[in-house]
Amino acid sequence: MNKKSWIQDLKAIPYLLPFFVAYLLFTILPIFKGLEMSLFDWTLVRKMEFVGLENYKEMFGDPHFWRTLWNTTLFVILTTPTMVALALGLALLANIKTKLQTFFRSSFFLPSILSVAVISFLAIFMLQPYSGFVNTVLHSVGIEAEPFWMADKVLAWISIVVVTLWWTVGFNMVLFLAGLQDIPDSLYEASEIDGASRWDQFRHITLPQLVPIGKVILLLQILASYKVFAQILLITGGGPGGATRPLIQYIYEAGFRQNNLGYAATMSYALFFILLILSIIQLRNQRLEER
Amino acid sequence: MGEPNVEKKSTSKTEVSSLLEKNRDPLRKGKLTVGLIVAALFILPIIWMLLVSLKPNGYSTTNPLDWFLPPFTFTNYIDIVVDSLILRWLFNSFLVATITTILTLILTSLAAFAISQMKFRYKNFIFIFFLLGLMIPGEATIIPLYEIVKNLNMLDSYAGLILPMIASPLGVIVLKSFFDNVPKEVIESAIIDGCSNFKIFYKIILPLAKPAMASIGIFTFIGSWNNFLWPYLSILSENLYTLPVGLPVFNATYSQAYVLPMTANAIASIPVIIVFLIFEKQIVKGISFTGIKG
Repeated sequence: MNKKSWIQDLKAIPYLLPFFVAYLLFTILPIFKGLEMSLFDWTLVRKMEFVGLENYKEMFGDPHFWRTLWNTTLFVILTTPTMVALALGLALLANIKTKLQTFFRSSFFLPSILSVAVISFLAIFMLQPYSGFVNTVLHSVGIEAEPFWMADKVLAWISIVVVTLWWTVGFNMVLFLAGLQDIPDSLYEASEIDGASRWDQFRHITLPQLVPIGKVILLLQILASYKVFAQILLITGGGPGGATRPLIQYIYEAGFRQNNLGYAATMSYALFFILLILSIIQLRNQRLEER
Repeated sequence: MGEPNVEKKSTSKTEVSSLLEKNRDPLRKGKLTVGLIVAALFILPIIWMLLVSLKPNGYSTTNPLDWFLPPFTFTNYIDIVVDSLILRWLFNSFLVATITTILTLILTSLAAFAISQMKFRYKNFIFIFFLLGLMIPGEATIIPLYEIVKNLNMLDSYAGLILPMIASPLGVIVLKSFFDNVPKEVIESAIIDGCSNFKIFYKIILPLAKPAMASIGIFTFIGSWNNFLWPYLSILSENLYTLPVGLPVFNATYSQAYVLPMTANAIASIPVIIVFLIFEKQIVKGISFTGIKG
């Protein structure tokens, strides 16, 4: 090594160091710390004793772990296809060339900027029996039923899914919109000369051209949905009877209510691997698209 | 992936092409009607929230239309501002989001500059090491993060809220690819003029990278503003709550009568709604530019 390259190496350090330190401390270190914690009986106050793989054994035999993992998966299954379809529909509406275009885009996106606390309590107050907005609307159009949205398993899931779609679809709509506008006009012009109808154009040009961005949205959506926690905690609290409780809520409760951080870290590891596999698939897909 | 051209095509040609389209698309009217109905449904809950917040405290009705008609009053707003910590939480959220955004921009742009423009050993290795961070989900490492922040004595503090959130690998990647595209000649001529590295970074690269910086900034800000899980775990004092953590505590003290909680929600939302309506185009562009959820 000659002297000059040493100097160049040193010059780069001040630029890299601040990011590097924060990254190491708060992104990389937790992975190893989590591994350590999962091997110990570890309370909120301190490390207790080494228990080897006991936490992992407990996890595999814990019906609550499997139940909440299933609830999270159910959330993914319920929200992903509906989200992609709704986002595409909204993007098509928001792509119509009209004076209303900005109004459409802003309206579809507006819920996305609200805090999870706000949208959750909007949902609670709109859906509450007797005095909530939705039930009073039902009554005023002659429907006498009094649905208890949060007390029934199916209704609770419907509420969570609808609220989540409303809250987050704007983001995916914007991605589809960008995809729509990347389709060259010449494709449509050429097909028009060939006498293609609007429906033909949609099926044979628009949809195939949207497949790449659609894949990205699909995978991002699955990834994001596996992390679901806040709106469920705030809207149903995981109820009725644990029917909607997601994995992250159970991790939180195990760690902070039952004072068992070791076990919480173990379950976090399970979530970590699910998300890791999903994001490797996602990054791979994205690289293929870029090629 | 999406380019930042969401608005470009639509604005300049809107008039002409909408005239053309009117004749071409027989379903146009139907589509616009559907669009209007859906848009109305999307904003209805938000408008309802804003109007409920203006009703007299304790107001209740069985006719849903009444919510949209007078009497209206501002007294709830005064009550909330005087009697609750909502303003304090609003301030906390704003402070934390702002500092998080500024620090994220500084850290990521410095690192991206080194990787994009400087020569040093193990550069590829370091870049790949940063890329790994994209695959590490914060939600899954939050329990050990809690333990680390506890050991650093930063639980229940602004520093504990901000510092763990500022090393964004996505920011480095987006900015690096943006810096890579700055024309070589510009930088070479600066070197010939005797500019130092920092001057090249500060005077040439950063001004050119404004759109990318804005995207990362908007993302970071919204992400921090809406962050729930981390402040929920790490903050104990009511004084340090951010809005997403504080609002549920406030709301939970009310059940049937929801006028006051709705006022609190409105206070929490009005600033972001205004900011959104002003910067709508930039925000939409920023999302299609980075294309990845925060």
